[in-house]
Amino acid sequence: MDRIPSLHRRTKALQHAPLQSGLILSFTTVRHPPSGFGVEPYTVALIELQNGQRVLAQLTRNTMPPAIGATVVPHLRKIRTMQNGLCVNDLKYEVVMKKTEPIFTVTSYVLAVSGPSGVGKTTITRSLMSLFASYAEQVPIVTTRKAKKGDSEPYTHVSEEKFEAMIASGDIISHTAMPSASESRRYGYRRKDIEAIWVKGKLPIVVTEIHLLTGLVKALGRRAILSCGLLPPGHSRRSMLSALLHRLRTRGRDTEEQIEERLKIAEADLRAFDDHAHLFDHLIVNDSLETCVEAVHEIAVMRR
Amino acid sequence: MRETVYVLGGGQTRFGELWGKSLSDLIREAVDAAICNTKILPTDIDMVIVGNMVGGETAEQAHLGTFASSLLPHHPPALRVEAACASGGLAIHTACAFLESGKAETILVIGAEKLTDVAGEIVTSALMHAGDAEKDSPSGLTFPAIFALTAASYMHRYGLTRENLSLVSACSHRAAVNNPYAQFRKEIPAALISKSPLIADPLRLLDCSPISDGAAAVILSTRKESPVRIAASQLANESLSLLDRASLTSFVSTRTAFESALKEANWNRNDIDSIELHDCFSIASLIHLEDFGYAEEGQAIRLFRDGDSDKAGSLPINPSGGLKACGHPIGATGVKQVLDCFKQLTMQAPNQVEHATRVMAHNLGGVGATCTVHLLESI
Repeated sequence: MDRIPSLHRRTKALQHAPLQSGLILSFTTVRHPPSGFGVEPYTVALIELQNGQRVLAQLTRNTMPPAIGATVVPHLRKIRTMQNGLCVNDLKYEVVMKKTEPIFTVTSYVLAVSGPSGVGKTTITRSLMSLFASYAEQVPIVTTRKAKKGDSEPYTHVSEEKFEAMIASGDIISHTAMPSASESRRYGYRRKDIEAIWVKGKLPIVVTEIHLLTGLVKALGRRAILSCGLLPPGHSRRSMLSALLHRLRTRGRDTEEQIEERLKIAEADLRAFDDHAHLFDHLIVNDSLETCVEAVHEIAVMRR
Repeated sequence: MRETVYVLGGGQTRFGELWGKSLSDLIREAVDAAICNTKILPTDIDMVIVGNMVGGETAEQAHLGTFASSLLPHHPPALRVEAACASGGLAIHTACAFLESGKAETILVIGAEKLTDVAGEIVTSALMHAGDAEKDSPSGLTFPAIFALTAASYMHRYGLTRENLSLVSACSHRAAVNNPYAQFRKEIPAALISKSPLIADPLRLLDCSPISDGAAAVILSTRKESPVRIAASQLANESLSLLDRASLTSFVSTRTAFESALKEANWNRNDIDSIELHDCFSIASLIHLEDFGYAEEGQAIRLFRDGDSDKAGSLPINPSGGLKACGHPIGATGVKQVLDCFKQLTMQAPNQVEHATRVMAHNLGGVGATCTVHLLESI
């Protein structure tokens, strides 16, 4: 039932699944699910996608009543929970009665690089930018923190009030606050910044952490994000953290106090890889800059 | 057929929820009955073929060929075949191939299944192995749900009503009243079938063949003669998943196997006096009858409405009670169908069709992915 390798293969195949709307050819409601699918009835439809391919998939709950010939659009949703408590995601389809364009289409996607502080996100992003400068652009981060010497990220500095207003108006689609002893720091991404890069026909790159990533997934959809997690070299969490400490100290940008704070966050970030595994398409160990950049580049090019 | 393959006879267990009997008990009982009824010496058997689908999953017993062979004093060569619900039909077809080739002269063919040892949702999962594990199963589809997809499509396309669909199961239940081996021996009116609980819309509980235990065995021979012979044995296949089909309301495998069988026997479809039909779900019966050419597309329900399908009708369908009323122990069904055909031709059937000389056994695996057709005649 819960066969991890087969689930892994399916998840991998899903990345290349055609994310298209389609028509219902037939449907049924399963009143007695097989083991592993819970006890609540659900509806399964035989769907012909726009490209002619046929799929068997569940319809989303709380959807319009299905009908043969109705139009459906795809969403990535939880399909069942395994015995060990892990969720299995798969494509489900939502009925949109009229012949409309799909509600959610991936016009393009965002390359997200995330990992603990000091793992080398900035360095790698910089190399990536130089590698595919013609077709990628870094998404600016909106922040309330003050400009600081040594900042290499493209920051847009705003006041606390302005930040709050942009969240309220929906301009900022993903935001987080970093608690800090010295200052209040909030970070966020604006939808218009990402869309502006798409309009230019370029690939937006975000260098981010788990809260911002979660926010982006919610706002843009999981499949709109090609997510790479960066891990520091090391076989255990302890050795990874010591590698991070070493890097933070050598870069000499932070005080010892700030380094301690960053390490705490890094520890939480490392845990996030386990807790939020579904948010990552690829995990890459940053043991050498070159191989790591090459790996991310390859992933991005493959997806194109 | 390159050789004359005689059906010497056979035996079966009752089909049903047989909690007191294990898979080996069932096989033993069917083999004993077959040997006893045919009055042959066990040592005359020079090969054993077993049809079984999920022995490993539900009865924790694989290696069934050898298991059956070891019931005989001389341990003849044995093998097990599997083609989901057509495992029994495939066992008969395999036996015919061995007999025609001369590799064997008398073969004991067994079909057996034990399903009720495990919980319902585990049986549901195991039976789903008959579908495509990568295309069908991940969506949480069950086998009734697959046939429900064909039913929904059929009803949408041809305007078949719920009330009419219920006539199909009612016909099988009516026939099984006299069959001592049937799981359900009670007449069930169509109105009650229309009100039974939903399993997978639009299919209801009484549209579906039950989960059953049981075994059947027949003995086929080229050396020993009998008044019944197999006139044709055909196997045909189609894509495993419903996704790869041109039509949801027709099974190419049935069409191919039936046409090839008529050609092999040199019969006309109107020569057939009675059919043991694979009515795993009510909707399947309608689709089969149209695939055979006994009705125009969307019109098969007429055969049930006008009484043609009854014992005294022009085309008796499932005089035994079929899968619906006799029960459907997966691997046993195809063998039991041939045994029922033998009984019709030797005037031993509990629900005897008068003047039956040519009959058909139609066995289906998956959603029409495998089909076997056997034509039997009295000589």
